[in-house]
Amino acid sequence: MVTTRDLEAHFEFECRACENGHCRKADVETILSERKGLKEFYEAFKEHIKECKRMTYGQYMFVIDREVLPEAVLWWHNHPEFKETHLSTAVGTDERPLNGKFVYMPFLNVQVEPQNMDENYWVFLKAYMPADDPSFPSVAAKLPAALWIEREVKDLLGFNPVGHPDPRRLILPEDWPEGVYPLRKDMDYRHSPMAEVKTEFKEKPEGTTLVPMGPVHMGIEEPAHFRLFVKGEEIVDVDYRGFYSHRGIEKTGEGRLTYNQVLFLAERICGICGYQHSVSYAMAVERLADVEIPDRARYIRTLMLELERIHNHLLWVGIAAHLVGYDTGFMHAWRIREPVMWLVERLTGNRKQYGMNIVGGVRRDILDYRKEEILKVVKQIREETKKFIDIALNTNTFIKRAEGVGILPYKIAKAYSVLGPTARASGRRIDTRLDQATKTAMAYNEVDFKVPVYKEGDVLARVLVRMDELFESLWIVEQLIDQMPGGDIMVPIGDLPEYEEALGFTEAHRGEVVHYVMTGEKNKVYRWKVRAPTYNNLPAVPEMLKGYHVADAPLIIASIDPCYSCTERVQFVDVETGKVKVLTEAEFNELSIKYRGVF
Amino acid sequence: MAESLSYTEKLKKWNRFEVEKFSKKAPVTTPYPFIDIEKPPEYRGIPHINPEKCIGCGACVNACPPDALILEWDKKRGVKRLTFNAARCIRCHRCVEVCPTGAMEPTNIFEIATDNKEDLVEVVEHKLAYCEECGEYLDFTERQIEYVKAILPKEIIDMYALEDRIGLTQEAKMRKTVEKLRETEGNAYPAFILVKKGGEE
Amino acid sequence: METTAKLAFSFIGVLLTFLLPPYLDGIARRVKARLQYRRGPPLMQTWYDLNKLFSLPSVKPTKSALFTWAPYLALASAVIGALLLPYGNVVPIDIGFNLVVFFYVILMVSVFLMLAGLTVQNAFSHLGSAREMQIILTVEPLIAILYGVLAYNAGSLNISDIIANLHLTPSLVMTYVLLAYALYVESGFMPFDIAEAEQEVIGGPLSEYSGRLLGVFYYAIYIKRFALLWFFVSLLVLPWVGPINTTLKAAEVLAVQFLLTVALYPVIASLEATNARLRIDHVVKMNTRAFFAGIVILAIAFMGW
Ligand code: SF4
Ligand code: SF4
Repeated sequence: MVTTRDLEAHFEFECRACENGHCRKADVETILSERKGLKEFYEAFKEHIKECKRMTYGQYMFVIDREVLPEAVLWWHNHPEFKETHLSTAVGTDERPLNGKFVYMPFLNVQVEPQNMDENYWVFLKAYMPADDPSFPSVAAKLPAALWIEREVKDLLGFNPVGHPDPRRLILPEDWPEGVYPLRKDMDYRHSPMAEVKTEFKEKPEGTTLVPMGPVHMGIEEPAHFRLFVKGEEIVDVDYRGFYSHRGIEKTGEGRLTYNQVLFLAERICGICGYQHSVSYAMAVERLADVEIPDRARYIRTLMLELERIHNHLLWVGIAAHLVGYDTGFMHAWRIREPVMWLVERLTGNRKQYGMNIVGGVRRDILDYRKEEILKVVKQIREETKKFIDIALNTNTFIKRAEGVGILPYKIAKAYSVLGPTARASGRRIDTRLDQATKTAMAYNEVDFKVPVYKEGDVLARVLVRMDELFESLWIVEQLIDQMPGGDIMVPIGDLPEYEEALGFTEAHRGEVVHYVMTGEKNKVYRWKVRAPTYNNLPAVPEMLKGYHVADAPLIIASIDPCYSCTERVQFVDVETGKVKVLTEAEFNELSIKYRGVF
Repeated sequence: MAESLSYTEKLKKWNRFEVEKFSKKAPVTTPYPFIDIEKPPEYRGIPHINPEKCIGCGACVNACPPDALILEWDKKRGVKRLTFNAARCIRCHRCVEVCPTGAMEPTNIFEIATDNKEDLVEVVEHKLAYCEECGEYLDFTERQIEYVKAILPKEIIDMYALEDRIGLTQEAKMRKTVEKLRETEGNAYPAFILVKKGGEE
Repeated sequence: METTAKLAFSFIGVLLTFLLPPYLDGIARRVKARLQYRRGPPLMQTWYDLNKLFSLPSVKPTKSALFTWAPYLALASAVIGALLLPYGNVVPIDIGFNLVVFFYVILMVSVFLMLAGLTVQNAFSHLGSAREMQIILTVEPLIAILYGVLAYNAGSLNISDIIANLHLTPSLVMTYVLLAYALYVESGFMPFDIAEAEQEVIGGPLSEYSGRLLGVFYYAIYIKRFALLWFFVSLLVLPWVGPINTTLKAAEVLAVQFLLTVALYPVIASLEATNARLRIDHVVKMNTRAFFAGIVILAIAFMGW
């Protein structure tokens, strides 16, 4: 029997999501025997594990020594049995106001058995670091998936990943001074320092020319800067500099938002997959509040998520066609998509940014007369999309551009923790909808659908994966309408427990979205970390670009369906507890007068 | 907002010759903004404050995620100002949901482009209740007090003698309680306990 | 024919050269729009666009005079190219070996475009110019061979003579087919608009151009497209209508030329709308293949078939 310090304290809550009913006061033995692999890990790292606990259903945390972080992450990542396990992302937190320490916490999506949400789980590896030496051994040297994650905590919190192969600045702008870390709790959100501009670009390899794609480029919808080093038209090497849309909303939002207001901000992280973020966030808070949301709400959420996936896939295929100059495909894809937008507008009140969610359920019910409308639209979309795909895939020039281009082999996809359709086109069999316990917030466990997987790994495979998924989504929508249970659509949420953590997740049309929430005092959020799928997919793009034509670059970049603002804009919203600092209109005007001409 | 035409609406008044000709056999695209486009009844447009119904309670202000609604007190003039700024509004209709009197009215207007920023702002001023006793303004508006009186059952109003006490400031209320207790109990308690009791109400 | 009639026809030719090309583009835009279920812009839209561009000043990123002159030179080449062609039976500029001149002036439009791209320090311009060059280098030999077949068939280097003397052989039919492809590529229609691909190289050689100079370049490109199409249409129509010796007949022929040009443009537009842009290596491959086919045709022509 293992004793851990806070064991009693941490298991006072009831986890109603658990299949076997209530499991109050689980002891360490029980926790470790709940899922496959936990025990094994515990045995392997016994001396270094300080504490272990279950945060909520299917989410386990080990507090371990920072020295063994790389080994621990790699232990999970390279586990021979859990093939599709990947490093999801990591959270850095400034917990100095609580216990005088910094926290660095990578977490992994452990896949014991593909598409079995009751077997798979999340593992959090929490490492405390003293306030005067926030450093940890870097994982990135061995696992490229950690490259960005570690650069990010270095930028925003001043952690030092010892041995990082590429410790350049990632998120903060070029004119941000050294040694100022915006996400530390002692940094005032109104503080906006400036220093000399310092750019750190990769050296140009011998004998190549630089083609700067971006920060503003026709083929990239948002600001992003790909520096292509080319020989003739062939891409030899690529450097990426992004995060131009990082606006540090975290600091402006400090202390003002309640957990329900954050929800609306979460929805606005992305222009087209906002509902996924909203559901993920709501899911995390619901897990923390330990409430079970009504079945009808789960069904409505799933319905909206799938409708969103349908129109997003159509949007993407349109853009892909546009980028190879096939504008007819573009126009038709978007024309087919339009009825979904109208439908969604009628269901929720808006084409995008549905505002449908509330922590604890949904805000609008699906009335019966609307069901017929949904079925009508589904039928129409199915027919038209079939026709469209028929035409597009028979357009010789389109296929010529997409086939065999931008190949991402399975190995690289796994090493970079690539997610979503990009990963599935490279043969990774992952889909968060089925892999992890989404059943507390969504109804994916009650519908039947397939997860298309292709092995080719090229752009065409990515098109096909998305199109197959689209039809699966249409089928899911039909099932949901058919099975929709009655009942309430929301439950009230009580007070949130203090300083608890949980993860919310969904599968957006680009891949797994995760929202990590740590509560603070008085129903506020102490730490909120959002990781959009593009964050994992984008670092793999340079790998896809190498060896192909400059002409293919826009298509290859677009083939992961990148969303730069998802990835960058609201990297963190970190709402400090207690201190209420509202920037009033007057103060704001003052600031803008002061900085007139600067902004 | 209501009186002035939004920019897009002005465009619609501009009779372009294509409109007639094209709207007959329109494929997919329409000559928007020269024509009106269909808005489903469910659409959440910018809300609008009905000054007749609003009581100035501020429930909407607390719920509004992006601070599109602001509440300000002007104790000198004795007014409470509720400002709605459509430019900040994200059209979530949280305010409509929480408004106790239905003063926040949903609309399906979405075209708010304008050449004058002032058009986007709606201001509703409420008179604050005035406490005769201490000659100061309360935090509440007169309407709020009326509303409270209207919705509370008679028994409760009687029980707490709200009829004449609701319009007082906090201090005046405490003082009254103290006085009342002094009267009934004959100065039996030390003052601080009385004050505390008064405060609890 | 009398001189007045000749003058009148030349005048019509000049008018067509200057006024028609933007309208043709307007037709193409409309057709594409309809294929995409859109309403599409008015037919005058290309003119409106050009008009707007002409009225805007240009930003000049370089001191190079070529940068400023290239659009005008390209325009002049395109106009001359168009005027070397027969309108009815009248050739506005007749200098004996029109076919060779036509070949060169039309080539000059591309060359000026390419050179203009090289005058500026811009990776995309250079990429675009390089692509333009690759296209020129692969498609022009093909065109030269095909022109050679025509000249050999008719025994002349003058366009009007060629047209008058062509006689139908299997090689001529094949030449027509290949010529349609080659002229389509040279016109830079989708899927061959690789040099100016917006999504890839932000307009290629045109990426640094703006305002009036850009407008002039566009105008030159439209006229060049018109000239190539008019040339092809003339080859299609004129040889088979018999000798044109009355003004009326010439007018009829001109009308047919005009109508066929206008009718072929929507076909081109639909081809454009239903294709994705190719990559430069695809085009080079295709052109090389076509070149060898051209050589075969030339051999066949020499054998007298
Ligand atoms: S909630 Fe309604 S009544 Fe209260 S201030 Fe807002 S609009 Fe007025
Ligand atoms: S609709 Fe939403 S954003 Fe607009 S005023 Fe109401 S609560 Fe605020």
